[in-house]
Amino acid sequence: MVGETPDSDAVDAELRTDVENADTAGPDIRFRGGRWVSALPLAFFVVWAIFQSGVLRISDTTGLVGGMLIGLILGLFLVKGSWKTYADTIFEGMTRQVAATAVVAWLWAGMFAETIQTGGFVSGLVWAANAADIGAGLFPAATFILAGLLTTGIGTGYGATVAFSSLFFPAGVLLGANPVLLFGAILSGAVFGDNLAPVSDTTIVSAVTQDADIGGVVASRFKYAIVAAVLAFAAYVIAGLSMSGPEISGQAREVLIQNSDPVGLVHLVSMLVVIGTAVAGRHIVEAISWGLVVAVGFNLALGLASVSEMLVFRAPQDLGVAQSLSWLPFLELASTDSVGIGGSIITGAQGFFPLIVLVLLIVAGAQIMIRGGGFQAILEWLLSSVATSVRRSELAMVLGTALVNAMITINTAAEIAIAPYIARLGERFNINGYRRANILDANTSALGYIFPWSGGLLVGFAVIESLPNQFEWFTESMVVNPIDVFPFVFHGWLLVGVFILAALTGFGREYTTDRTVEEVERV
Amino acid sequence: MSFVSKYLTGWSFRTTTPSFEEGQEVSLFVTGTRGGTPVARVGDTVLRLSNAPPEAVDSRVRARVTAFDETDHTGEAEYIETVGESAF
Repeated sequence: MVGETPDSDAVDAELRTDVENADTAGPDIRFRGGRWVSALPLAFFVVWAIFQSGVLRISDTTGLVGGMLIGLILGLFLVKGSWKTYADTIFEGMTRQVAATAVVAWLWAGMFAETIQTGGFVSGLVWAANAADIGAGLFPAATFILAGLLTTGIGTGYGATVAFSSLFFPAGVLLGANPVLLFGAILSGAVFGDNLAPVSDTTIVSAVTQDADIGGVVASRFKYAIVAAVLAFAAYVIAGLSMSGPEISGQAREVLIQNSDPVGLVHLVSMLVVIGTAVAGRHIVEAISWGLVVAVGFNLALGLASVSEMLVFRAPQDLGVAQSLSWLPFLELASTDSVGIGGSIITGAQGFFPLIVLVLLIVAGAQIMIRGGGFQAILEWLLSSVATSVRRSELAMVLGTALVNAMITINTAAEIAIAPYIARLGERFNINGYRRANILDANTSALGYIFPWSGGLLVGFAVIESLPNQFEWFTESMVVNPIDVFPFVFHGWLLVGVFILAALTGFGREYTTDRTVEEVERV
Repeated sequence: MSFVSKYLTGWSFRTTTPSFEEGQEVSLFVTGTRGGTPVARVGDTVLRLSNAPPEAVDSRVRARVTAFDETDHTGEAEYIETVGESAF
């Protein structure tokens, strides 16, 4: 239920006056059918995203680009007068600072994440699990911690879910852990890391859209994440000891040992370099660059990855120049069909290309909605009928983010779409950038792995579904149905719960007058 | 702010109606106007900025609190300068 302050009626009346008087400037682009029509490009995109990811279960970011492109074209036909302003607004949106900052941070994060994965970070975690000698009952709880650690390092919950579902999941099932609980624990770890990692795409979006520094955002959200994580860990211990798994002969150790290597754990240091420098207030580009230098250094010094695994030019084998330069450690001769440039640094950055194009188009669509008056119309409605006190405003932010994430199941895309509303709703009550970024990201991270149709859950399911083809002992009955796992993503549910309570009780609430976020100070 | 204190900030239950001291200098968003006067809502507290220009609305400004009434959570503040814009 929405909380009320004793003087809420008076506050509501005052706020309505605020809204009526605010921003009376007319829209720059006029649409046939009024200012609400300016929402068409984004609305079309949302419907496309629901159809693609929600109905057809196609978790493909590049496909979403199509929805945004067609939406922008459809909007054009409804413009009154010259189309030039509409076209110019697309450029105006794409060149906004918020888009550029996210693009730069993603590229750097991608290079780093892929490089520590190439350096055997997952094998190191597998070794740690094996060395700790945990039984079936505690395996889900340990999986939660290790998946959380991996995601905090590489920043992508999707990547960590794939890595853990293909390695940890079968190992845990072999040990006798409950498959549903185990998959829930992997997804919980992904939620934890996606929420807290400075190199996570959702963390980056939440910070830059709320004008806050990434390091400060990470430090300020620790309190919410740790409360939820401690409770989730306890829940996995209790559930792990009470829910049994299938009985299979003891090949578990072999699966674990084959894929383990303690040296990969040095990348905990690479990870701490990024977290430490980011939280110390250095720019995220600087923080990740240092992490990357350390990771590359470890990979080469300890033989974890060769130069060509991190960066390689694959030149045509019949090319004379290439043959004479083939002694270079980053040059390989390749057949015509495999010519190209590769290695973790390239593929890591490349992994974000679809998302980068998508964010540029979404920000363009948002700019058209701002210039067309649709953004203001929705904001006025929210402020006059929903967010009429600071408590109700924060609840609207929590529930609004949850709703958008339920519809657009690729969580970063959902986060970008709702971010402008969180910024304005929060600013209207002088809620500072850290708090706004935290509300925005917690729900985005959590719900992106909870709903049975969410991208994160489907990515893991796709891997688990293929396991019967890889292991003889892994039967179809051990495949976890998406509908079965969602109640067991404990950390996700607890994180949403913590934020509903935080909005109601004021836990962690900070105003702009309490603390100015660092990005703003630098400006 | 030190590394550790960044982690320790905010471990408390913050009121919906924050109070201000006379003479306190604050940085805040001007959230609208009331009767033609720019105002800043901080939570459910309202500060009036009588000398702020109309264009300060929706901007972040520096201001000094000149009066504050604890009972109805309203106050007066003197506009000093505009220091930033909305995140969107």
